Amino acid sequence: MAHITLDIYRYDQATGEEPHRDRVDIEFPETSTVLDALEHAKAEVDGSITFRRSCRSAICGSCSMNINGVTGLACKTPISSVLREDRSVKIDPMPNFEPLKDLVVHMDPFWDRYSRLKPYLQPADADSDHERERRVSPEDMRKLVAVANCVMCATCYALCPVVSVDPSFAGPAAIAYAYRFIEDTRDAKTNERIAQINDDYLWLCAHCYACSYCPKHVDPHDRIIDTKRRTVELKEWDAPGPRHALIVAKTIKRTGMLAENDVIIGTVGRFNFRGMLNIIPLGLRMASKGKVPPLILHPVDKIDEIRTIFDAMEVPVG
Amino acid sequence: MAATTEMLAPKRRSKSAEMKRYGFFPGCVAKESCTELFNSTLLLADRLGIELVELTAASCCGASVLNDVNRDVARILNARTYAQAEALGLDDVITICSTCTGHMRAANKELLEDENTMAHANSILGKFNVAYKGTVSVRHLLWLLIDDIGLDELKKMVVNPLNGLKVAPFYGCHIIRPESVNGWESSRNPHSLEDLITALGGEPIDYAGKTRCCGFHVQLEKEGIAANMVGQNMRIAKDKGAEAVLTPCPLCHLALDGYQADSVARWGRTDLPTFHLPQLVALALGVDATRLGMKRHVISPGPILQAHDLAPMHVA
Repeated sequence: MAHITLDIYRYDQATGEEPHRDRVDIEFPETSTVLDALEHAKAEVDGSITFRRSCRSAICGSCSMNINGVTGLACKTPISSVLREDRSVKIDPMPNFEPLKDLVVHMDPFWDRYSRLKPYLQPADADSDHERERRVSPEDMRKLVAVANCVMCATCYALCPVVSVDPSFAGPAAIAYAYRFIEDTRDAKTNERIAQINDDYLWLCAHCYACSYCPKHVDPHDRIIDTKRRTVELKEWDAPGPRHALIVAKTIKRTGMLAENDVIIGTVGRFNFRGMLNIIPLGLRMASKGKVPPLILHPVDKIDEIRTIFDAMEVPVG
Repeated sequence: MAATTEMLAPKRRSKSAEMKRYGFFPGCVAKESCTELFNSTLLLADRLGIELVELTAASCCGASVLNDVNRDVARILNARTYAQAEALGLDDVITICSTCTGHMRAANKELLEDENTMAHANSILGKFNVAYKGTVSVRHLLWLLIDDIGLDELKKMVVNPLNGLKVAPFYGCHIIRPESVNGWESSRNPHSLEDLITALGGEPIDYAGKTRCCGFHVQLEKEGIAANMVGQNMRIAKDKGAEAVLTPCPLCHLALDGYQADSVARWGRTDLPTFHLPQLVALALGVDATRLGMKRHVISPGPILQAHDLAPMHVA
């Protein structure tokens, strides 16, 4: 047993009171989890402390919260790993969500993004046409296993910096789940799914790897890249994201380097006047300081070797 | 390596007669829009008494974007770059960009951990008689400074201490995440930049934005996202008392330096000047401030440099 202080965010949207913090002192083994400590505090000290939980073993995905500034599952976080020098643990609701009561947040935006993807199998034929189950080879299944481990805890959504400034972005979990159906050999709506996610938000991922903190090792970031590659393969090229990827590839093949000027113009779109107008202020600010990439970029030494690699890999850039 | 001025020679570190040699991968942005980073890296190397051998035939690392087009091409391009370092007898490829660091390390990890992946890469490189043996480590200049030179040694070399300049470290993403690729320090709570700022005589500012994303990689995909991400992080840094920002990544630098003006409406004025890693280290180690290219910054560090007696206003 050890003395532990839980420093808990308290709020109730129903009463409209300003949020405040409570410090709840408990005697509890620090080898236990943060969720165990919260349950103990609720049972023994203050029954009004509110949080979501169910399985206590990282399967249900209910108890994601912010613990000392780090978002993750309370049931998977040992107290000893987060105990601060003053023997306290600071607990807040997940960021990027609207608080509802104490550590409980409104999950609706997360579920809405997920529902939009039609996250269920859409095979070409009806179930009644089958005498047996639809089979998937172990090899095809292997691609889906990591995403199938997702428990919808929304940790990645809470950590996503793009969501924090632009809620129209679906966030990592929804895209990973889209991938899960795009890659499912039983699903017949692959192209529709790719077209939808490409239009919607796929390319707003900022490549930051914040979702690499997934408590279930789903690695949404890698699935986002896989999904982008599928959109490029399907020639869904008419958007800034795929244009960016292709022009980067093209300039590297031509010069060995990412040619900044070409990439900016190629991504925005040469005839996208509104897009060009948007980047002019930044361009002028930089140009006024002489910060202009070279207009002509000479190929690096042995450029033929680089072109050989592109050709051998059949990169679709001519 | 570029010749640097003789006037630097007396303060040059001369640990042994033999200069330590490193493969140097400057990356695209340091050779294009951020030439001040390239130049100040060479000036710093000279001051440190190390030799950076530029890999002049190297290609772009793939910039985290090439994987969106093809699963293998970036890895094979990087294998080719490592083979160039091997051919020159160099064990290290030193980067000065976080995105280069993360993506080149990821490629190297894939090559070294799976012999089929390595064999596939070498089957392509074999078309022009190149092979990668797998002996290269990709490391960022920041890691070289701390592991190879050492904070104590750096502290001894400081001739122009930062006089308590309050500097917010901005790690960004690819030098720390994913930890399975980088792993040189904790990605949740890194402190190498803070340690370095302290060693140079500055005061590091602790703030929640230090490990968050600058938005660079999504700046052209949708208007406003990068500016907002920059504004959000710079607001926190400014409110914590930062006078300037230090970043190991030129992509972060472009975003932080370029977009603060666009985030005023939502996040208020921040106007934090941003230093490239080698600029601030070189300044503290006595490299002539006029040579560090700070006139090329959108937000001039001139006023804070003058206020802390570090350099006259006109250098920036």
